[in-house]
Amino acid sequence: MINVLQQQTNRFKSAIVKECVREIVRERLSGLRYDPEEVPELSRSLAEGIKDKVKDAGFDRYKLVVQVVIGEQRGQGVKMSSRCLWDADTDSYAEDVFINDSLFCVVAIFGIYYY
Amino acid sequence: MHSDKKITKEDTWRPADLRKHIREEDRGDPYANRRDDNERKHRGGESIERRHRDPERESRRQREKPRERESTRERRDEDKKDRYAERRKEGSQDRRGDKERDREKRRERDRFKDENKHGDIYRENRDRKQDREEKHKRERDKERQRDKEKEKVRERERHNEENRDKRREERDKERRREERDRERERERRRHEESGERRRDQSGKHHREERDRHKYDYEDKRNDKEIQERHGDRKHSERKEERECKEKHKEERERRHKERGHYEEKRKHDGESREHRDLKGSSEEVRHHRGDREQTEGDKHRDRRHRDEEDTERKRRERRHRDEEDVQRKHRERRHREEGEPEINNRDKTNSKKSSSDKNDEKNMVETEVANDEDLADQKYEDDFEDYEEDFEEMDESTNEGEDEKELLHPEVGEEREELTARRRKEIEAIQRAMDEENERVGTVQSRQSTSREEEDGPKWSKGSEKNENRASQRGKFIDFVAAKQREVSKKVATKQKKRSAELLRLIDLDFSTTVSLFDLPPVSEYDMYIRNFGTANTKQAYVQCNEDNADRDVQTEEIEMCEKWTQHPPEHGGACGDPNLSLEARDKNMNDMNFDSQRLAAFLRSASQVMIVLLEEDQAERKSLRKLNSQTDTLSFSDGSLQLNTKLPFLYGRQISLLHFSQVQRHTMMSIHMPTMKPSAVRLDSCTIICIWNIWEPSRPQKVLVYESEVQCCCFSPGKAILVFAGTSVGSVVLWDLREHASNHYSLKIGEDEWTFRQPTFSTDAVMAGSGHFSSVTSVEVVPSTVAGAIRPEVPLLASEEELSGLSFQLASLDESGVLNFWVVVELPKGNEAGSPTDLGLRPGGKVKLLHSSSLLTAERASPRGAMKTGPLQSLLLKFLPTDSNHFFIGTNMGLVNHGTSHGLKAPPKFYRCQEVGLRPVDITSVHFSPFKQHLFLVGCGDGSIRLHAVSHEQPMAEWTDGTAGEPVVSLQWAQTRPTVFCALDAASNLHIWDLLKNDTQPVVTERMNADRVTAMALFGDSGQQNTYSGIALAHESGKIEMQYFTRSLTASSSAEEEKLESMMTEAF
Repeated sequence: MINVLQQQTNRFKSAIVKECVREIVRERLSGLRYDPEEVPELSRSLAEGIKDKVKDAGFDRYKLVVQVVIGEQRGQGVKMSSRCLWDADTDSYAEDVFINDSLFCVVAIFGIYYY
Repeated sequence: MHSDKKITKEDTWRPADLRKHIREEDRGDPYANRRDDNERKHRGGESIERRHRDPERESRRQREKPRERESTRERRDEDKKDRYAERRKEGSQDRRGDKERDREKRRERDRFKDENKHGDIYRENRDRKQDREEKHKRERDKERQRDKEKEKVRERERHNEENRDKRREERDKERRREERDRERERERRRHEESGERRRDQSGKHHREERDRHKYDYEDKRNDKEIQERHGDRKHSERKEERECKEKHKEERERRHKERGHYEEKRKHDGESREHRDLKGSSEEVRHHRGDREQTEGDKHRDRRHRDEEDTERKRRERRHRDEEDVQRKHRERRHREEGEPEINNRDKTNSKKSSSDKNDEKNMVETEVANDEDLADQKYEDDFEDYEEDFEEMDESTNEGEDEKELLHPEVGEEREELTARRRKEIEAIQRAMDEENERVGTVQSRQSTSREEEDGPKWSKGSEKNENRASQRGKFIDFVAAKQREVSKKVATKQKKRSAELLRLIDLDFSTTVSLFDLPPVSEYDMYIRNFGTANTKQAYVQCNEDNADRDVQTEEIEMCEKWTQHPPEHGGACGDPNLSLEARDKNMNDMNFDSQRLAAFLRSASQVMIVLLEEDQAERKSLRKLNSQTDTLSFSDGSLQLNTKLPFLYGRQISLLHFSQVQRHTMMSIHMPTMKPSAVRLDSCTIICIWNIWEPSRPQKVLVYESEVQCCCFSPGKAILVFAGTSVGSVVLWDLREHASNHYSLKIGEDEWTFRQPTFSTDAVMAGSGHFSSVTSVEVVPSTVAGAIRPEVPLLASEEELSGLSFQLASLDESGVLNFWVVVELPKGNEAGSPTDLGLRPGGKVKLLHSSSLLTAERASPRGAMKTGPLQSLLLKFLPTDSNHFFIGTNMGLVNHGTSHGLKAPPKFYRCQEVGLRPVDITSVHFSPFKQHLFLVGCGDGSIRLHAVSHEQPMAEWTDGTAGEPVVSLQWAQTRPTVFCALDAASNLHIWDLLKNDTQPVVTERMNADRVTAMALFGDSGQQNTYSGIALAHESGKIEMQYFTRSLTASSSAEEEKLESMMTEAF
């Protein structure tokens, strides 16, 4: 029923996903200043872009959930954490953080195996 | 159920009706399909309701039939009404179900209206236009179909178990048929499009169609009224029902309006429908009318026939059947609501009857539609009915096959009522299954709707029952599509459920540990500040204090420093690199350095001189007191004396040739010490030494000047005695700058004292050979700068002015040959330590030099005769008129003093001679101008005669020939404090003092100094207010210099003296 072999070969690899995310986030956000009017659209498009890119990476048995949080950096403290109910054997997540002088961006991708 | 229906249909329906019914079916097929599609589109998730409605629809149809049917069916309606009544009596259960049904019916009808919108045009077009043609075709089709169905029925009877498969086949066939119909339809449509009707009219058609529907309702109502008129027992009940129904219709319409703009349109149209109908759709109407009339021709006949012949029979039958139906239905419903058990109880006949009943109902509906068509009213409801039927056929195709087959039986005969036991069982089984399902859903549905229904109140109950029937009828077809879908989805769901169940056994779902995605600590205010402003022109500096950071390194240890050496000159002690010197001392020195060294030096110089003078005076006084005692015996004129310390090693054995006082600094004197032949300790034997003395400081000379050859004459600079000029026997003019630092000169330590011997600053030796002197220089004299007759002695401070204004004066030098040279004294702003490359006579570091200005030959022969007699004229002395520098006086060896001017006209007298006529070779040994009467000068001659001349006259004012007793005059000078006193020293070392006021014929004092001969003398004195002194400096042969102060009588002047001189002048001229 569960193709274990496939599972093993085509697993959600955090490192690869993280690299994808890092690349796209660096490209889109470097040197950007926080603009409250642009950020909602930006985060949405960023999430779409990341999702598409990760889909291309070929985790075809995975449902992807992409969460992008962009916030302004004004010296405040920020804590983000996540908790999942999932099958730890197959499901995984990747996260990447981008920070510049003006904003921080946290991208979390959860890959849920689709049996 | 369906089997029942078939049976009843066969029982009740006549062949004509059936035929019509079948035609309707055929015609309806394509719409059914279309509607199917619509349904699929429009209703995705109502499957439950639909399924639930299946039985209700049947019952509703039964109920509706009476209303919609024409007179032929009246009896049935009545029967139904009976049945309703009975059912109502039977209890709330039924009613409730009815209510539910009613509501559902309403809903579904609304839905139908929506859906019918799309299909109306085609349907109605077709209906109206080609009614007749279609009928023929349909009849043909139906007959064909019927035949087929008969065969199939037979087959099925044989193979009861294979029923379903066959049904499917039948369905396929039906579909094929439907397709055919559809094609026909399309053709029709094409015709229509090309024909009268245009697409753009479709809107109108819509409206009209709708209008027609409305009319249909009315027609139906009329039909019912007709039925009522036919009147039977249940007439009143029916009326009530109808009212309710009408209300429901209104409700329905209202709902339509609410549903959407289509409906709204319809509503609006409805308001103006009559007008439009009359105007716009005249064609249509006409057409319809035509159709209707045509069809009516047949159908009315049929109807009439039916009405007349069959009414009674039908009524009977219907009543009978209705009663049975009611009982059966009641039972069925109970079955549905209470459960299966009763199904088992049901006998075969019941089931058979119920199925036949249903069939009957269906057939009734179909016939009803056919009638409607015959009437050509094309009622809205009919359309619905068509569709319902179509759907029934589609959805319930499993049953339909049988239905249709069995539909044929009534035509053949009524024997079909007695079905084979096998068949009945089969039907029963199917029925049971359906009931089960319906009940299952029905309970749920009824529960949901009861609460709402009860509110409607009893008033509605009757009508609602009817309407419910309708609604359920309508809901039936929806249910099946949904059922299919649900089935599929359920399959999928169950599959998935199963899969998930299995999977979940294998998979452990667990909570992941809480993952911290992002943790950005808050930035402290300080960091924030630094981040924002830290880079802007600021720098962060750290300070460490020792106490706070005991364990950290502190770089505050003392740095050891050591001064090793210095490049500064050693006289600055602070900078010479002595490590023992304290910082304070160094600082002090540095502070000292900051003083105005020039001023300090000047102060120290003057102060030291004052101190020295005071000390010397003290000393000299003691000495002089002692000596005075001894000398008062010898020198009658002397008021006291002091001796300059000439007992110096380098002055030992030298003869003093000349003494000279500065005219401004009266206490400064210089003595010229001739070179000595005796060897001495100091190797300056061949040199002339000039000592500069301060008479108040007799212990030692202030400066010692050295020159290599013999110095013939010398003089001080005008003003302050800072320069010394000298003319030498070798024909050079030299000068010394007394301001030069001692370090620049050769110093020699003799005994305990160190002496500095100054070489001349500038010398014309061999430098200015062309313009210099070729014979020994006999006299150097400063050309007085003031042309006007200012009295010099009275301006002692003039020197400083001159000093400040720089040294700019002329110097004249006369040599033996009579060449008078004028020199300009130039002070350079800065000395060149390395020596000047252009001024070769300038000593390295020297700042004063002489520039040759002009040269004058003054040696004119006074008279040719005299020259022949005495040889060449020698110029021995040079003096300038103090009041006018243009006039110079030169003493010659011919006893004459030549008078000349340096420029301009020659002034008379040409020369000054003695009173004797004729020249004699007598040297002029001295010429001296009076300090008080500057146009008077004394001339001393070698023959011992002394003359007093006025500048303006050739002859002397007075001449004393025997003053010195024939001894040549060595030196003759006016006294500085008394105008009428002068001194003369003769070669025999006799000093003669003349006081013209006392005695103008001979000297008043004559002193003979034989012990130590006097070689030179000079008078000094100052007529200053506080301290008037005068004296005579005597240079002895032994080399000592004695200062003899004159007595009071010789010092203090009186006013008579000048008058004496004046009188002498007037006497003389």
